[in-house]
Amino acid sequence: MFASAGISGTVGRAFLLVGFIGAVFGAFAAFTGARRNDQQIIRLIPRFSTLSFAAAVGAFAAMEYAMITRDFSLAYVQKVGSWSTPALYNFAAVWSALEGSILMWVLVLAGYTAAVSFWVRKRMQDLIASWALGVMFVVSAFFFLVSFFPANPFAAGAPGVLDGPGPNPLLQNHILVMFHPPILYLGYVGVTVPFAFAIAALITGRVGEGWLVATRRWSLFAWGFLTFGIALGSWWSYEVLGWSGVWAWDPVENASLLPWITGTAYIHSVLVQERRGMLRVWNISLLVATFSLTILGTFLTRSGVLNSVHAFSESSIGSWFLALFAVVLVVSIGLIGWRGDKLRSPGVIDSPLSREAAFLANNVLFAVFAFVVLLGTVFPLIIEALQNRQIAVGAPFFDKLSMPIGLALLTLMAIAPVLPWRKASTETLRERLFWPAWCGVVALVASLLLGAYGLAPLLTFTLGGVSAGAALRQVVLATRRQGWRGLVGRANGGMIVHLGVILIAVALGASNSFSKSQELSLVANVEANFSGHTFELKDVVEVRDDRSISVKALVLVDGKKIYAPAITKYTRIGMNVGTPSVRTSLTTDIYLTLEPPVRQDANEARIKVFIKPMIIWLWIGTALMAVGTVLAAFPGRRRKPTDATSAPVEVAAS
Amino acid sequence: MKTRKSVWLAMFLLVAVLLVFGATRTGGPQTQQDRIDSLTAVLACPTCSGESVFVSRAAAAESIRAEVARQVSAGLRTDEQILSYIEQRFGGEVLLVPRATGVDALVWALPVAALVFSIFLLYSAFTKWRGNKPESPTSQDEQIVARALNTKSDEQ
Repeated sequence: MFASAGISGTVGRAFLLVGFIGAVFGAFAAFTGARRNDQQIIRLIPRFSTLSFAAAVGAFAAMEYAMITRDFSLAYVQKVGSWSTPALYNFAAVWSALEGSILMWVLVLAGYTAAVSFWVRKRMQDLIASWALGVMFVVSAFFFLVSFFPANPFAAGAPGVLDGPGPNPLLQNHILVMFHPPILYLGYVGVTVPFAFAIAALITGRVGEGWLVATRRWSLFAWGFLTFGIALGSWWSYEVLGWSGVWAWDPVENASLLPWITGTAYIHSVLVQERRGMLRVWNISLLVATFSLTILGTFLTRSGVLNSVHAFSESSIGSWFLALFAVVLVVSIGLIGWRGDKLRSPGVIDSPLSREAAFLANNVLFAVFAFVVLLGTVFPLIIEALQNRQIAVGAPFFDKLSMPIGLALLTLMAIAPVLPWRKASTETLRERLFWPAWCGVVALVASLLLGAYGLAPLLTFTLGGVSAGAALRQVVLATRRQGWRGLVGRANGGMIVHLGVILIAVALGASNSFSKSQELSLVANVEANFSGHTFELKDVVEVRDDRSISVKALVLVDGKKIYAPAITKYTRIGMNVGTPSVRTSLTTDIYLTLEPPVRQDANEARIKVFIKPMIIWLWIGTALMAVGTVLAAFPGRRRKPTDATSAPVEVAAS
Repeated sequence: MKTRKSVWLAMFLLVAVLLVFGATRTGGPQTQQDRIDSLTAVLACPTCSGESVFVSRAAAAESIRAEVARQVSAGLRTDEQILSYIEQRFGGEVLLVPRATGVDALVWALPVAALVFSIFLLYSAFTKWRGNKPESPTSQDEQIVARALNTKSDEQ
């Protein structure tokens, strides 16, 4: 069982075992304590979560130590380690393949468990906390076990290996590889927390609103990191992959998008439950769906059933994840069925023209969106099973279907923020949407003047204008009434997030519809023209280091600055990686890639130029979403309990 | 309010006219590069499942891209002809978009079915809610509210 050579291998494996034992004991203590309501047992819980977390840190540190000291006795280091990898990328190499990424999952999950048990330390007499921690311990134990057996990063490698190939070249040529995976994992794994509390609420039968309010910030935290992680991945794709796009709809991207979609649906519909006590079954189902989609996504992409650029090699962990997925579904559905009577909501939604009805419509759209993404991702598997035939479902399918869904969501974002709870009249709507609608008209006229064409992008810009107007209206009214406090809290912070989403939607609309590209065969010192810009090849140079040979074309753009798209050959792996070079501005990006074949002694080079409008607004929009999420996490001003629930927070005059 | 109503009407008309105008104009003729890009975007890279030839930098995608470029610049075939030529030449399932025939059509039909089904669910939920309006408040309820409102005005 301990067949691992090298000191870090043995130590790391021992840490994993300790972590597993800690999690099992933790689960045992939490469940027994909660069932018997025995505070003496419950008081032991934080010790086990600390133990598990410390063990996870230890195991991760052992892996880093092995990677940094290039301990080639470990199979994992043989696979992704190399003496020639620069220190930073070598550090990140730990999570560049399957076993290491599971180890990072273990670390993040144990960290969340410890953080939650610290957070509830003064409220342990509330049994919901114990049950939730028990659920988290069970999931942690599962991951410790996966890391101990099928995805063991500390397995001994073949003897006599003194150097390795290093990580995938794509994972050692951009600094974002340091940030994108850990941040994404903080979101991806973070959805375990609200899921655990949902299960705990079902078990205790306290399915009212208390636990929701309590875990609101955890959900927001996980959602924010998931959003930010996905955006960083898009940025990485744009900066590294060389096809000038930010999203390829590959299965691993879809696996991260699916929980984001259901999570986004949840953080909207949970407002209806907090306010009106409705949609309890639905909200719990969304949390269960979000968590189980993270497990299903890992199964699909990490077991070798689906392949993609992100997918690591095949392994036997598939059956483990499939089993966990099944258990999660059976237990959750069983619990929801068992508590069905308590979940029935007391209220009714009075009118289809109300805030809560808009949230329902939002949820329908997000549910359909999730269904589309899931269906497209697994459809090749279905066809293969039914007809033993290979087909591919790619970007054109997802683009075609997500466009109308996106436009419908933008429409909803335009109307929903001005809708009052309970019931609205068309007159209120006419009043409140008056200025937002003019924003839409202005956006439409402006985009026409700038030369935009085509129904879909123009609708995007118009609806973007209206929804930006609606979001700004809310922010202006709130700040006028409450000063700076009008920027914090769910509703107001949420509007800042909306503004970020609108920027991203508009930027995607513009860059997808109005990009131009051209392949140019450049000859040294002869100017070529494309789309009002000039490109002149100055030189083709070769740069060598001990892991790669890169050929760079030095291209003078508009006679001002030199850009150097490159193709790098990673000699140990024998893989060519193109590195684009981008001139960014507030209006347009000029994206240059060097096309193969290349010769460094030639005085000519084939360059592909993409002119892409508004790309930078994707990243500005992301930053705005991050700011909005932080603002939304602060408590906003609440209504007095004696106020009518229909009393609006802002003065209803515009 | 009358004036506002007519302003809204004018606004809708204006937007409709502008949208029709914008939807019918185009951004100039399609260049050869545009054609190459849009054709390669619907072709699946044979060695990297899920990615298009346009996206992929793999060698197999590179050669298909070069072939499409050759066909486009020769200018002899239509888009469909080029796609079927590629299918013939490189073999296998080359399209990245599922067809709308046979079982493959399910991937297009199911999302529509899901949308229709969930709209139906929403509709029936609203009809149900409309059916069981909460009872009107009793005098006791009104007293409680009045008391609560009194204490609130005392605080202020």
